[in-house]
Amino acid sequence: MAELIGSILVLAGAVFHLSAGLGMLRMPDAYTRMQAGTKASTLGNTLVVGGIAFFHPDWTLKLLLVIYFVLMTNPISSHALARAAHRIQVPMTPQTTVDALRDAREQSRGDA
Amino acid sequence: MISTVVLATGLTLILIGIWGMLTHRNILRIVIAFSLIGTGTHILMVAIGYVANGTAPIIDHGLSTAEAPMRAVDPIPSALVVTAIVIGLAVTAIMLAFAIRLYEAKKTLAIDAFTESKW
Amino acid sequence: MIRRAGIVLAVALFGLVFARLTVHHVERQSLPPLGKRYVELVPQALGAPNVITGILLTYRAFDTLGEVAVLFMVAAGVGLVLGRREGRNENPLTDAPQPPRQASEIVRTGAQILVPLIAIFAAYIITNGHLSAGGGFQGGAVVASSAILLLLADPRRRFDQQFLSSTESAAGVLFVLVGVAGLIFASGFLDNRVLPLGQFGTFFSAGAIPLLSVLLGAKVGCELSVIIDRFRA
Repeated sequence: MAELIGSILVLAGAVFHLSAGLGMLRMPDAYTRMQAGTKASTLGNTLVVGGIAFFHPDWTLKLLLVIYFVLMTNPISSHALARAAHRIQVPMTPQTTVDALRDAREQSRGDA
Repeated sequence: MISTVVLATGLTLILIGIWGMLTHRNILRIVIAFSLIGTGTHILMVAIGYVANGTAPIIDHGLSTAEAPMRAVDPIPSALVVTAIVIGLAVTAIMLAFAIRLYEAKKTLAIDAFTESKW
Repeated sequence: MIRRAGIVLAVALFGLVFARLTVHHVERQSLPPLGKRYVELVPQALGAPNVITGILLTYRAFDTLGEVAVLFMVAAGVGLVLGRREGRNENPLTDAPQPPRQASEIVRTGAQILVPLIAIFAAYIITNGHLSAGGGFQGGAVVASSAILLLLADPRRRFDQQFLSSTESAAGVLFVLVGVAGLIFASGFLDNRVLPLGQFGTFFSAGAIPLLSVLLGAKVGCELSVIIDRFRA
């Protein structure tokens, strides 16, 4: 029974990883690709590691630490990457309507 | 069965890396393809050392000293791969340093712009 | 056109060779003779539970010294190629000089939480090389990743180059000195029996292997940090 739940979680995690890969191939520009890759693969990681915890219940604490570490590092690294890309003005797809970071930077430069 | 799957994965990565290195014109993508070939080679080496139904060559509560020669996986390819990974990082660092210098010289990352050493 | 056809032909030929390798691959049923000898010898003669670290730091320790020399050459090479770019803070698009920018708050806060965790993790990997998976090379790479995080969080930070290079040299010299002590007091260069073997599986066991792991981890970590520091914009 526990193995069934664990297997379902691992399968769901694999599906999210697949969607992360698909998103990185199909998205129009660099920023949307970064978003697809990070969000889906972080969730996929969490689900796979959580599924393993059902297979080996005595590893639960170590696996929770692994999940915490992944949740701390993946979003921060993608944030730094996206900010750097915006700084060197990587082009956005023409369907973009709002660029909040550019507006915030111009406002702060106007105030300074 | 397991080692055949891992072997196929490593060889597929090497194939993708070779294709990428030959096709792309951007220097950074060529560096990424080179790193892919390196990773594929590491996976290939570890797969060669697999013994059927074997486990890691570390003596702990899962593998006692007496039964280690029967059930352990070959330790020598793993030892070679450990240093190969760090050396791969260092070689990638040198390639990226050269890419930075080339970009500062010509302001472009396309490898077609660097034709001085061709005849 | 011809180039594209040539590329497809080359990849197809490689694919054929690889496919043949995969199809005719036969899984091993038992260890090869040299592997079996190492798996038997390392727990008994060296007192180290981790066979791979025993091989890397005693039986093949001379090759490890060569790898460390290769890393040193690469660090020198990166320093040569990227040497004269210190302190240039130009916008990569317009070449106009600009004030050094600060990293965003999320990255700074994350770095404050993560750098101690990564440092503890690196120390754990390095010192547990002889008991479980780990060792000098792996721990040194994790130390370098904490250096990357520090640089990302504070782009104006200057690493103390003098400290890094003197630590690296001292670790290298101590490594060779422990090896020469193996020549004098035990049966060969970099033999680990210069220090007592202790009880199998405890922390202070396997002779000189933990000491060699720490020295190797310090050297590799400092070298990779120096390489990364050269890439600073």
